[in-house]
Amino acid sequence: MKPNFIQKVTNWGNFPVVEKEMKSEDSVSKIKQFVKDHNEVIARGNGRCYGDASLGEHIFSTKRLNKFISFDRLNGVIECEAGVLLSEVLDISVPQGYFLYVTPGTKYISVGGAIASDVHGKNHHAEGCFSEYVIEFKLIDENSEVLICSREENADKFWATIGGMGLTGIILSAKFKLKNIESAYIKQESIKAENLDEVFRLFDESEDWTYNVAWIDCFQKGKNLGRSILMRGEHALKAELPVNLQKKTLKLKEKPKPKIPFYFPGFVLNSLSIKIFNFLYYNKQTKKQLNNFIDYETFFYPLDVINDWNKIYGKSGFIQYQMVIPKENGKEGMRQILDTIAKSGNGSFLAVLKLFGKNNPQAYNSFPVEGYTLALDFKVNKGLRKLVDQLDTIVENFGGRIYLTKDSMSRSSLTNYLQNVDSSKFVSLQHKRIINNG
Amino acid sequence: MIILGSNSEVAQAFVEECLAKGEKFQTIYLLSSNPETTEKFAGHIQVKFFQHSEIIPLDLMNDIDYKTLENINSDVLFCATGYLGLGTEEGLYDDENTERIIDVNYAKLVPVLNFFAKRMESKRSGTMIVLSSVAGERGRQSNFIYGSAKAALTAYLSGLRNYLFDKKVHVLTVKPGFMDTKMTEGLPLNPALTAGPKKAAEGIYKAFKNKKDVAYVLPIWAIVMFIIRNIPEFIFKKLKL
Ligand SMILES: Cc1cc2nc3c(=O)[nH]c(=O)nc-3n(C[C@H](O)[C@H](O)[C@H](O)COP(=O)(O)OP(=O)(O)OC[C@H]3O[C@@H](n4cnc5c(N)ncnc54)[C@H](O)[C@@H]3O)c2cc1C
Repeated sequence: MKPNFIQKVTNWGNFPVVEKEMKSEDSVSKIKQFVKDHNEVIARGNGRCYGDASLGEHIFSTKRLNKFISFDRLNGVIECEAGVLLSEVLDISVPQGYFLYVTPGTKYISVGGAIASDVHGKNHHAEGCFSEYVIEFKLIDENSEVLICSREENADKFWATIGGMGLTGIILSAKFKLKNIESAYIKQESIKAENLDEVFRLFDESEDWTYNVAWIDCFQKGKNLGRSILMRGEHALKAELPVNLQKKTLKLKEKPKPKIPFYFPGFVLNSLSIKIFNFLYYNKQTKKQLNNFIDYETFFYPLDVINDWNKIYGKSGFIQYQMVIPKENGKEGMRQILDTIAKSGNGSFLAVLKLFGKNNPQAYNSFPVEGYTLALDFKVNKGLRKLVDQLDTIVENFGGRIYLTKDSMSRSSLTNYLQNVDSSKFVSLQHKRIINNG
Repeated sequence: MIILGSNSEVAQAFVEECLAKGEKFQTIYLLSSNPETTEKFAGHIQVKFFQHSEIIPLDLMNDIDYKTLENINSDVLFCATGYLGLGTEEGLYDDENTERIIDVNYAKLVPVLNFFAKRMESKRSGTMIVLSSVAGERGRQSNFIYGSAKAALTAYLSGLRNYLFDKKVHVLTVKPGFMDTKMTEGLPLNPALTAGPKKAAEGIYKAFKNKKDVAYVLPIWAIVMFIIRNIPEFIFKKLKL
């Protein structure tokens, strides 16, 4: 038996599936050698991007770069290797009174993946992207050299790598800031909105809240189009917490996790079951407004509660379609998008609406620009490409763009916004696809 | 705790499992021939668990300087040293390969284990947890040099267990089957028979706490090896295993 490292690899959407070389190392000299020895290398963190961004001819998995390096508990600065997951950071930081400034909707992503996608959370309007809090990182570049990149040192590489989708090199480790918290709980308000106009109004009213997100029932049409629940939250202060939570404010009990044991057969997730789910979800909350305290896991990572939930979509997989439409056209754009989806009958289990604030112009490869962003899951089936094409046209008409980390089939005019990333060494299937289409 | 072979992923996962379960150690002695990964690991457990550790160079292929081991004092020893080397096809008649496999897995390792056994014997307490291998249960044509060295190690451990029993020292032989580690990366392993380091560490920790003598990492291996052990030799010799 000689190792050949060829494996079936796929990301969170289970689409596409490729058979490519995937290797992992923990020693810098061996990683350098790997980069030297191959053309077309791409880094892969935990494969939580949905599509083909971290797939390539020679995949370097950072799963063995999983060590913490330092934690300055006084100033809330942590340094770790690129393969460390955000969940692992939280495990040690929350009990010490620190939280991530920016977190996506799953904590099972790597620090390298967070930088390469410059991820955003429910607080983009208030606190920006992940990169705002990155102090420096180490990068292996195309010459197999290790560069320290920060706003002062190798600043060009620093900014190109942020949101650069792995096309500038392999991030080895990173140092970033954490935010102080008094408790592991979130003060939450969830408010039902009858339609799109109301939810947009609620977003405007909620601008002073740190975290805002709305879940949309995308099967509704006509005057109910955009029926949704807006959730807004703040890290709860110790003194605010109800007495039963005051004893252990920074520690959560471990909860058992159900697991999806196998790929669901295709018929499980048809439009009827989604309609029922959405109906129940919307009507679970009977009051117009609900105020409560919930732990951070429930607030930020509701989907992480079930391991491998992506298997629900069956073997053919699913895509996540996430676009942003600039603010001035945002409402009209969203209306057309939701309308198109409702008409297509291709409902989405999950439709999440957020408002992006102003972007950081220095982080020119980041996805967010000021406006509305909607993320939708669609099962891969015959009609999907047509729907994606229709949606792409709307996004294009309104001057929007697609989030690369979730893309696997959108048109290149919406996905080719990266700059300063062209190298013959670091190449992903996604980048090739985009370049070839354009 | 004393760790022999500290850059092994299973050893590191075992240390993390112990610390996560709330075990306390004044110092963890990390013995290793690879300072780069061991230093990273030492920093990691400091950050994650506030765990103090000390790195001590140990290369079984060189002469052992026992003076460097003198100040080590602990009740638990975990040994994950090992060397797979080349299998029969590429390596049988490569003497250097053969010697190295025998040295690292058995010949040079046993004196080091004896060194620590002696200390535990004199203190009349302690546990030695040593990774051997299912490959040591029956020689198979594909890698019997490795298998034979592990068989010798397994026999040594069972003797040692017997010898130390009334001296209150416990010896646990662990027989991992396939493991998903650096050593086996890129090999087409059957997922049902393969354990990742974390899973392996959880199993070993349980066996340690339950004072088991011999433990497989995945229970399925007990059945697989039962069958392999009991195939009559006249049939076994014809198999391509
Ligand atoms: C349930 C769910 C919810 C999500 N919610 C959000 C959200 O709210 N906001 C948001 O922004 N994103 C969200 N995402 C997307 C996710 O945050 C990003 O795709 C993230 O980049 C995934 O990180 P990863 O470690 O899995 O990296 P991968 O998916 O493996 O890789 C993603 C990209 O990063 C690159 N990369 C990874 N590691 C390195 C490295 N060490 N060096 C260089 N490049 C590297 C890869 O080449 C690839 O281009 C969500 C994903 C899921 C599954």
